[in-house]
Amino acid sequence: MNILIPHSWLLEHLDVAIKPKKLQEYLSLCGPSVEQIYERAGDSIYDIEVTTNRSDAMSVRGIAREAAAILPQFGVPAKLRPLTVPVVPKPSKKLELPSITENNQLNKRTLCIVLSDIKRAQTPAWMARRLEAIEMNVHDAAIDITNYITHELGHPCHAFDYDKLVATGNKIIITEATAGESFTTLDGETYRTVGGEVVFKDGSGTIIDLPSIKGTANTSVDSSTKNILLLMESIDAKKVRFASMSHAIRTTAAQLLEKNIDPNLATDVLQLGVKLYQEVCDARVASEVYDHFPSLVKPDKVITTSTELLRYLGIEIPLKEAKKMLERLGCVVEIKSDSLVVTPASFRPDLRIPADIVEEVARLYGYHNIPSMLMATPIPINRPADTNFILEQSLKEFLATIGWQEVYTYSMVSEAEATDSGFAINEHLRLANPLTEDKVYLRRSLVPSLVAVLTANPMRQPLSVFEIANVYHPSGPSLPDQVLTLGIVSSDSYRTVRGVLEALLTKLHIKQFSIETTAGSNQAILVLGHKNQVVGTITQQAGITAIQVQVQSLVEHAKSHPVYEPQAKTATIREDLTFGLPKKTAVGALMTELQKLDKRITRLELSTVYNDNYTFTCYYHDPKENLTSDQVAPIRKQLVAAVEQHWSGSLVGELA
Amino acid sequence: MTGSEYIQQISQLQQAVKKDAALSAAELQQKYLGSNGAFTLLAKQITEIDPSDRKLAGRPLNELKNMLAEAITAACNHTTTDTWIDLSLPGEKPAVGHVHPISQAMAEITNIFTSIGFTRVRYPEVDWDWYVFESLNMPPDHPARDEWETFFVDHKPDKKKGQMVLTTHTSNGQVREMERLGKPPIRMINIARCYRRQQDVTHTQMFHQFEGLVVDKGITIQHLKGTLDYFAEQFYGPGTKSRIRPFHFQFTEPSFEVDFSCHLCAGKGCRFCKSGWHEVGGCGMVHPNVLKAGGLNPDVYTGFAFGWGIERTYTLKEGLAIDDIRLLYSGDLQFLEQF
Repeated sequence: MNILIPHSWLLEHLDVAIKPKKLQEYLSLCGPSVEQIYERAGDSIYDIEVTTNRSDAMSVRGIAREAAAILPQFGVPAKLRPLTVPVVPKPSKKLELPSITENNQLNKRTLCIVLSDIKRAQTPAWMARRLEAIEMNVHDAAIDITNYITHELGHPCHAFDYDKLVATGNKIIITEATAGESFTTLDGETYRTVGGEVVFKDGSGTIIDLPSIKGTANTSVDSSTKNILLLMESIDAKKVRFASMSHAIRTTAAQLLEKNIDPNLATDVLQLGVKLYQEVCDARVASEVYDHFPSLVKPDKVITTSTELLRYLGIEIPLKEAKKMLERLGCVVEIKSDSLVVTPASFRPDLRIPADIVEEVARLYGYHNIPSMLMATPIPINRPADTNFILEQSLKEFLATIGWQEVYTYSMVSEAEATDSGFAINEHLRLANPLTEDKVYLRRSLVPSLVAVLTANPMRQPLSVFEIANVYHPSGPSLPDQVLTLGIVSSDSYRTVRGVLEALLTKLHIKQFSIETTAGSNQAILVLGHKNQVVGTITQQAGITAIQVQVQSLVEHAKSHPVYEPQAKTATIREDLTFGLPKKTAVGALMTELQKLDKRITRLELSTVYNDNYTFTCYYHDPKENLTSDQVAPIRKQLVAAVEQHWSGSLVGELA
Repeated sequence: MTGSEYIQQISQLQQAVKKDAALSAAELQQKYLGSNGAFTLLAKQITEIDPSDRKLAGRPLNELKNMLAEAITAACNHTTTDTWIDLSLPGEKPAVGHVHPISQAMAEITNIFTSIGFTRVRYPEVDWDWYVFESLNMPPDHPARDEWETFFVDHKPDKKKGQMVLTTHTSNGQVREMERLGKPPIRMINIARCYRRQQDVTHTQMFHQFEGLVVDKGITIQHLKGTLDYFAEQFYGPGTKSRIRPFHFQFTEPSFEVDFSCHLCAGKGCRFCKSGWHEVGGCGMVHPNVLKAGGLNPDVYTGFAFGWGIERTYTLKEGLAIDDIRLLYSGDLQFLEQF
């Protein structure tokens, strides 16, 4: 939450001589962050971020209190000025207070008073100027006073049209709404209750206010209002949040009161309100003050030892010094032997445990004054077994080095992309609250996203991209299987892309792999290891080759180094053989078969393809003796015979 | 043959090699190093000389061998004077791809933290509310949850662990790491995809965070500051400082915001940084309730945690003021090829 505080307004609560720039610096180092200073109408306006646990600082007085605690740490004398609000005078006219049916469970305090004969006047210039400086709309005095005092003291208040209340029976029943009740807010919007909101009702059961959030049209101030009921309540914070979130009515009042604003603050707000209504609107006090405050909210004592301070800060801060700091923050502090016994102010419900006290002392001491050093504690050596980030990075580096582009695409995909994954749309996990239609389903394949990248870059041909990311497979009642996957998509030739995969596996020293095809299918599978584990797929469609491999299985099978093989003692003979092969010959299968013909064929490579002619480089080697051409000739013959008989191919050229 | 006769033959061959400087590499190879080459034959004869002289002869023989190798290398580099090469021709670059900038940043961050003993881990990106919020001291419906625009998965909630959500931060790794290790020492760096329901020039529905968590006996704010300073200096360059300021998070107490000094103006204030500092993210001392949720005794252990967006952290580097963060995930090659 951010709050705007004019420097001049702050000085009404803070006795200090300081330049706004300096105040910004010091406050930001030890307290709420002053993000910016705006110069408006001769005043400096601080734009301050107040954290959600410090709703007590969401007011001019709250910031003044912080500044009074912080500035002396920097050697700047500063004091919080005492709050001077007159006690509410006796009524000069008697109008009957509404009869209020309290509910102590739902509401901690109700404080109200009737003010009559309100003169509907323009907001005075000094007040209007301040409201404008803090970017609030200026209406007329009767309305603006409530906003003004809320901003100054930090407890929201509401002005009812007293006569409207009287017309509905002058009754306020504090209760929970049942589902389906209707109410119309002061800006004319109609809502239906979901049940459980705290509401004010009249005797007939009509909702006459959504307390702590927004007034309703049937009781709020309008241009004809002459008498008002100025009221402050303290509805249970969780209930405020529930109603505010249920109806998406996020007023300043709701955002404050859902964070446990101190009900004790209401007294000052009421007194200041009465004073301003009297001064600005010539109002008359027309009732006694109604104050229902069954249990004064008292914060618990927090005991913090000096060891605890040391444990967090690593340096000793004398308890006497800590006591002074905490007292400036409104705490009552006793030193008992080695401990600080702290009774926080009622407006600081956030101070509950020793760590909270440590934070207050540490920030006032100044985080910038605490030394900086690295840990001397033991280093853990137990890394998760199923990850290998070094391998992941080297995969990326390898693919990038050979010319491929790494991309990051979204984990959520559109309905069309989800369907393209090959899984039915209802076999996907779906977001309950997607932001955009193109990101609704948790993807089960990287391919559609990567194909989209190719499509989006039509000028690059061929283009090869890859990504390492999770795919998400639903897994019954459990979290989805989140499978880290290497996705490769390319418009380059199938041989090139497959070659990259083969080179990658070789680079990882994975020897045992095969790419298995099925006749008539455009998808092959990648099989790794002795157990023939299927770890990936290769798909060829419309000129695009797509590969997906589970990174986890690469981690399992990869080696950091090869198995050393001694240099061969005998020579290898190498020669090229070219065969003409019939169309649609599965050359991969042919090669596997040829290699099995003789164990002295140690390698067989496809070197070039020209029309239907395939040139293979054959390597012959015998570890026991140097092969002679006479020994190679029969092997060669076998090769040629196999191609001719089993594959209907023919050798190009003559057999030596 | 005596040793001196042998050495004389070596020096004769040396003279011959000098004279043969015009020969091609292949000719030199054949003449001296082939199976009947002059050096090969001479080398074989070393067995014929008196064993006591062999050592003496070995050295000049080696020198001759080196000389031959040099001569052959030199011959390989001979350029015939009549071939004109246009040295002004532009080079033909090999196709070089690119590791995505986020991967580059991750690798750099990983290296920085692993070198001071952090263990990198990975935890689910789709996780239970318990790990993402509730175990981090954020009960259901807590106002602090508003800061996270959470995506919920349309899935039956778990009875104990609540709703299934896309992780809004890497902090779900905190209690998971405590559960994995059982007890300190914990020095974790968790880098992962995160998701929030927002989208504009500075926000994408998917982004990345890195989370540090250190828990042990005697871990103090000083160690947090030390770690931040170390990171700042390594990631942004020498002289970069860190600064922590008060903040509030439910899962840390005390909580801080982290700023790094601007590396362009060294903290003086310039057009890029305005105040001399860049706000990077949050951190704090692990809240006792979080330690408890992870099964650790907060009276024995303390710890600190930090978690920042990689995009924000990375684009603060000099020259990387990327004006539209969505470009990172657009798959636009024109953008990606710059990195």
